[in-house]
Order: sequence, then C-alpha cells, then structure tokens
Amino acid sequence: MSQMNLASHQEILHFPKGGKPTLAPNEWQVWNGDQDKSEDEGGNFTLPDLEHGAHKVLVPFTWWCSQLDSHHAADIISKAKKGQIGVWFATDDDILKHADVIEAGKKVWPLVAAHFPIFRDGRSFSTAALLRNRFAWQGEIRAIGDVLIDQLLQGARVGFDSFALRPDQNLDIALKQFDLYTVTTQNSWRGKRSTCELHVQQYAS
Amino acid sequence: MYKYDAIDQTLVDQRVAQFRDQVARRLDGSLAEEEFRPLRLQNGLYHQRHAYMLRVAIPYGLFSAKQLRTLALISEKYDRGYGHFTTRQNIQYNWVTLEDTPDILAELAKVEMHAIQTSGNCIRNITSDAFAGVAADEYVDTRPICELLRQWSTLHPEFAHLPRKFKFAVNGAKEDRTVLLCHDVGIELKKNRNINNGELTNELTADIYAGGGMGRTPILGSLIKQDLPWNVLPSYLTALLRVYNRFGRRDNIYKARIKILVKALGPEEFARQVEGEWAHIKNGDDNFTQAEWDRVAKHFTRPAYKTLSALSNEQIIHNSPETEQVAFARWLERNVKPHQVPGYASVILSLKPHGTVAPGDATTAQMLAIADLSDQYSFGELRATHEQNLVLADVEQSKLFELWQEAKKQKVALPNVGLLTDIIACPGGDFCSLANAKSLPIAKAIQERFDDLDYLFDLGDISLNISGCINSCGHHHVGNIGVLGVDKDGEEWYQITLGGEQGNDASIGKVIGPSFYADEIPDVITNVINTYVAQRNGEEPFIETYRRIGVTPFKEAAYKDKNEDAKKKEKEVAGGAA
Repeated sequence: MSQMNLASHQEILHFPKGGKPTLAPNEWQVWNGDQDKSEDEGGNFTLPDLEHGAHKVLVPFTWWCSQLDSHHAADIISKAKKGQIGVWFATDDDILKHADVIEAGKKVWPLVAAHFPIFRDGRSFSTAALLRNRFAWQGEIRAIGDVLIDQLLQGARVGFDSFALRPDQNLDIALKQFDLYTVTTQNSWRGKRSTCELHVQQYAS
Repeated sequence: MYKYDAIDQTLVDQRVAQFRDQVARRLDGSLAEEEFRPLRLQNGLYHQRHAYMLRVAIPYGLFSAKQLRTLALISEKYDRGYGHFTTRQNIQYNWVTLEDTPDILAELAKVEMHAIQTSGNCIRNITSDAFAGVAADEYVDTRPICELLRQWSTLHPEFAHLPRKFKFAVNGAKEDRTVLLCHDVGIELKKNRNINNGELTNELTADIYAGGGMGRTPILGSLIKQDLPWNVLPSYLTALLRVYNRFGRRDNIYKARIKILVKALGPEEFARQVEGEWAHIKNGDDNFTQAEWDRVAKHFTRPAYKTLSALSNEQIIHNSPETEQVAFARWLERNVKPHQVPGYASVILSLKPHGTVAPGDATTAQMLAIADLSDQYSFGELRATHEQNLVLADVEQSKLFELWQEAKKQKVALPNVGLLTDIIACPGGDFCSLANAKSLPIAKAIQERFDDLDYLFDLGDISLNISGCINSCGHHHVGNIGVLGVDKDGEEWYQITLGGEQGNDASIGKVIGPSFYADEIPDVITNVINTYVAQRNGEEPFIETYRRIGVTPFKEAAYKDKNEDAKKKEKEVAGGAA
C-alpha cells in the first residue's frame, strides 16, 4: 500500500465552539488518493478497506468530485452517510468553484478537513473561514498536515474545531494555547470582537 | 492621541506573555529556528548580521514624549545608545538579544507600544501622513481610521500567514506624503458632499488602490474601488485580503506580493474578484460601528490651542536677533511647515546631520532631549516621518526661534529637509543580512561632498534614496536619484536610477545603465547634479527638468568619467602596443 499516506496520529485535539479543548483518540485516517498520478501511470484509486482495518477515512476533495459521475458514486455517498468517509481540502482546491458539490456534501459528510502543506501556508485559514461563513458548515473542520502549536489559536478562530497536530508537537503545551488571550479586536467564528461596553463592565466589577 | 483602553492593554500584555513562552521554547530547543522564525518576525524580531534587530511600531507615526522616553531607555539599557527611525514609521534597535526581547516588549507595553506585525507575512504597521490632523492641506484627518484599522488588523487570524508581507498606507491630504501608490493597499480618504433628504451631508469615504510596491518589481498601485463608505472598510479589506491569501503566489518568494497577482489578473479582474467576495460579506457585522468611531475619534480632538494671530515668516524673522536671521530664515523655509491653526506651525527635526553615521538615527540623549522639547513646545506629542525625521506638530510660531536654538544644541536643526542631503537610507550591509552592499558609507560620502548649504539651497527639492538591496527598504525606486546596492561576483556595486518621485505625481525611477563602484558614486552624483544645474529653467526643480529633457543628458554625464577612463586606458594599451 505504498501509495497510501495514512497519517499516524494517535490523538486529536478537539476544541468545539463554546467548549473546552480536550484530547481524544483519532478515528480517522487521511488518504491522499495518489493524486499526482493518473490511473494509466499506476495511480491507485482504490479506497482503503473500510471493512477491515481503517474504518473511517478522509478522502481528497478532488477525488470525491472525480467519483461523483462514476459507478462508485452511490457506494461512496452511502459510506459517507454511514459516517465512514469525509473529505479533505488541499490548499489549491478552489472551494468556491465547487459550491454545488459542497452544498450536496454538507448533507452527507461527517467530517471535513483542510490541509497545511507547511505551517506558514495560510490558505486553509481562508478555506475554513469560507466553509463556516459562506457555506454555513456546522460540522467539524479538522486541521491536518503541518499543524503546529503556534497555529492553533488562529485556526480555532477562523473555524477549525479539531487539530491533528504534527506528531512531534507537545500536546500539553498545545492544550494551553486557547486561553492565552481574553480579548480580540476583530470578529471571528468563535465570537465577536471585545467591545468597550465589556471594558466598562470589567472596570465596574 | 489615542489612549489604550483595557482591551488594547490586555491584548499587548497577553502578546508579551505569549512571546515570552515562544522564546522559552526556542531557547530550550523544543521550537526549531525554522518554525520560530515567522513567530519572532511577527513580533518585529529579525536576525541580522551581528545580532537580533527589533523593530517597534509607531502606528501611523504618532507617539508621545513619554513613549519616546521609553524608546530612549530601551536604547540605553538593551542596545548601544541609539535607535534608527525607519521609512515605515517604526524604530529599530540593532543590537538586542533574543533573551532580552520579552522584557523589552514588556517595557513597551507599559507605555502602550508594541512590535506586533512589524515584520512577517502579515498586515504590517499601518503608515500615514506624519502631519495628519495639523497639515494645512488636509481634507480628512486619517488618524481615527488608522487606529480603527490598527485594531482590526492586530492578530487577525485569517491573514496571519499571507503569501508575503502586506502594507497599508492611508492618506487624507492634498499632497500625498505617504507614498500611497507604492503600498500593497493605499487608502485615500475624502469627504463626499451629498444631499440626503434635503440635507447636506459630508460622508467620509475611501478610494482603494491595490497592488503597489517597490522591491524587485516596482509597480504603482491601481485604483480598484471608489467612494467606499468608511465603515465598510473591514469587510472590503477582508474580501481583498481573502482573494490575495487564496490566490497570491506561494511558489516563488519574489512573485508573492499582491502586486504580482494584480498584474497577472489585471486590475479590473482583481477588482471584480474582490467585489464578488465582498458581495457576500459587505453587510456583515465585521464592519465598523458608529460607536467604535466615536470611542476612537474622541482621542484625536485638537489640543488646547491658544487663540493667536498668524505670523508671516517676515514677522517671525524680524523678531529674531539680526545676526541669526539668515540661518534662521533657512530653517524656517525648509524645516517648518504650515499648520491649520493660526499662530501655529509644524517643525521637522532633521535626523540627517551631515556626517551622520546613519540617516534616521537618534542617540539616547537626543531622544530624551527631543521628548523634553515636545513637552515644552508641542503638547508632548511627536510624529515620525516617511523620510526618517521627527516632527513637533503644534508649535507656536512665536516660539520657533527659541525652539530652533534648542534644536541646534541637539544637532537636529540642519535646514536640509527635502534637500539633497535629506537622504533616505536603509541600514544596509553594515547591519542587514539581506543587503548586497552598504548604504550608510554612501550616504555619508554624498553628504560630505554636498556639505555646502548655500549650494544645497540653490539646488532646491531633490530626493536621494539609497537601498542596500532590491528589497528597497531605502525606497530608491521613488527617489529623484536612487542608489541601489548590487552584488557582482562578491563585490559591492551601485546602480543608479533617475526620475523616481513620491507624492501625487509618483513615478518609478529608471536604471541609467551599468553599476558603479562605491568610490565613484560622489562623482556620479556630482555629474548628474551639474547637468541639472546647466539645464534647468529658472527655479525648475530637478524632477521637472528630468521630465522635460529626459534621461539621456544625465546618463551621458553620469558615465562621463567612466568613458574617459576607458578611453585613456585604450590609449595606454594602444601606446604600449606601438
């Protein structure tokens, strides 16, 4: 299975909106779909075996799109409905160009993810913001890839609520990131910017 | 000026705590340098040739005597007794340590200052007109909008890792003093007179220019939006930055600025995409509210001006001792600018004394003295200019002579504002690890060559800007004369550009030809200046002569010595062979 890139995360950091950050075992594996090769070039387009071994898999959004017209479509959609298939967005997926797929996917995907090829690539911040604001996606959005401790705050504010941190990251330090700030000066998915009314109340109390 | 509320103060305090933890993780090795780098840059900390450099924000150029005293103390305690004022309304310390940085930031936070987003691929310190609120030619005081945008952009999560750095400038005056068109986004504020329900209204709106910049590919920004109401700036800028964040190039650092995206798409298509994105969010609650405007704008009311009558320069000079009148008149002409309020003027303190180590440098003692002068003469407020000078914005005209005497003692009274020796220069190869060549010795050599004030006065307005590399921190592209350090086979060379201009009639200078050695530069500049003197019509400034007669006569003069040397050598070779 050399074409598969199954991430080895044991634990996922969950930080639901309005909730507290916690760690939980990872149930999802990330499959890269061998995107760089065509089938003629030996690309492997067979999903991981969901009956044995991996039970839940995140597939590339482009792969999902490519399967919608194939004879597999019904099977894949059914597996998504059963909670076994979600999608992940690559940084160069233009999600606004596939609004119809995302609107339909909203009804079946149990989980979506957005990828960080390197920690300093901020495109997936806009992807998450668009999923929340434009598509009103209510489910979980997971940050995957090169996810480091010092991106967590930004990610949490734009719309991510779970994080598959790079395996070398210290999860105890990661859990402490979210209460570093008690004020903000712009709105985000998590809440409105701090206002001077709050300021007056703080001073009064 | 703006006073932090509990929200602002809490935010900078918590930012210091966050950075302290990041530094600790770097020092114990759990955070790798490669991964720490963007974190320290977004807190203004560079690693330079000899040491760390810390760049502290002076948002839109406005600061107080108290803040300047803290900046002075930091220069004494943590650096080597001076600070460097930059073209982007920041101050830089060249000799700090990583270990000290959290403490320096904590000192800054105590006086409502920070180094947040003074570097890195994020929205940088917002720059504006150093004369905002006092300039005689102002349509709109830009400071409330600048402060609102400072707050909106501070730690903005979606735009924390843009393809490249992103600079805003805001102008509200007839004469642009911000180099608006050389910014990623230029915001031109104006008042639109409308009649609504039979009542005359003065609506504050913005014209938006995008895609300007210097660096390797200098481009002037394009107008992409007109008459944008002030309060929707957050949603419009979110749309603009989102398009850039998603589609700006990340494969090549030299093509990652927004100017490349705007050029590739064309300004019309870029504007259309921004408009498309904005349509979805324009009515959202990201926009500024009137309450927020009121909270911020109340800090920018006028100080307690006296009721005075305006004095003419003749009257001011007449009231000064006769022996001093000639020199004083020069200072009045070059370093004093008109004010909105009768009886007041704005004074530019020149940080470009001839023979200075670096244009824009101020020593600890100078900073402390200037802080005192601002308390004594200008309501305790100061401005930092794009040209790397300092301004006392609200000086009574009747006290100008007295202030001039004090400024002379601090060596900040040279009447060279806007003249050839008011050189803009980056720290260059003496400090910066990006630089190909040194800038400071070139600036010094030019100042030494043109040390005659009579001659400088006669030459009039000429800008000479020096950058040590193509990153263009010395803004050479918009200098009438630009000097750019280049590396050729490990040697330092200098390329000359002519015809650059900032302001309303901004233009990018043209490279005149092959580059020169450092020791050739003073002669080259002399030859260029002599050409101007020979060709000018009456009082015509350099840039107008250049635009009238074109580059050729200047180019021929610049290479005159080189060509003559080459001919001599040819003759010698020919003679030797014969």
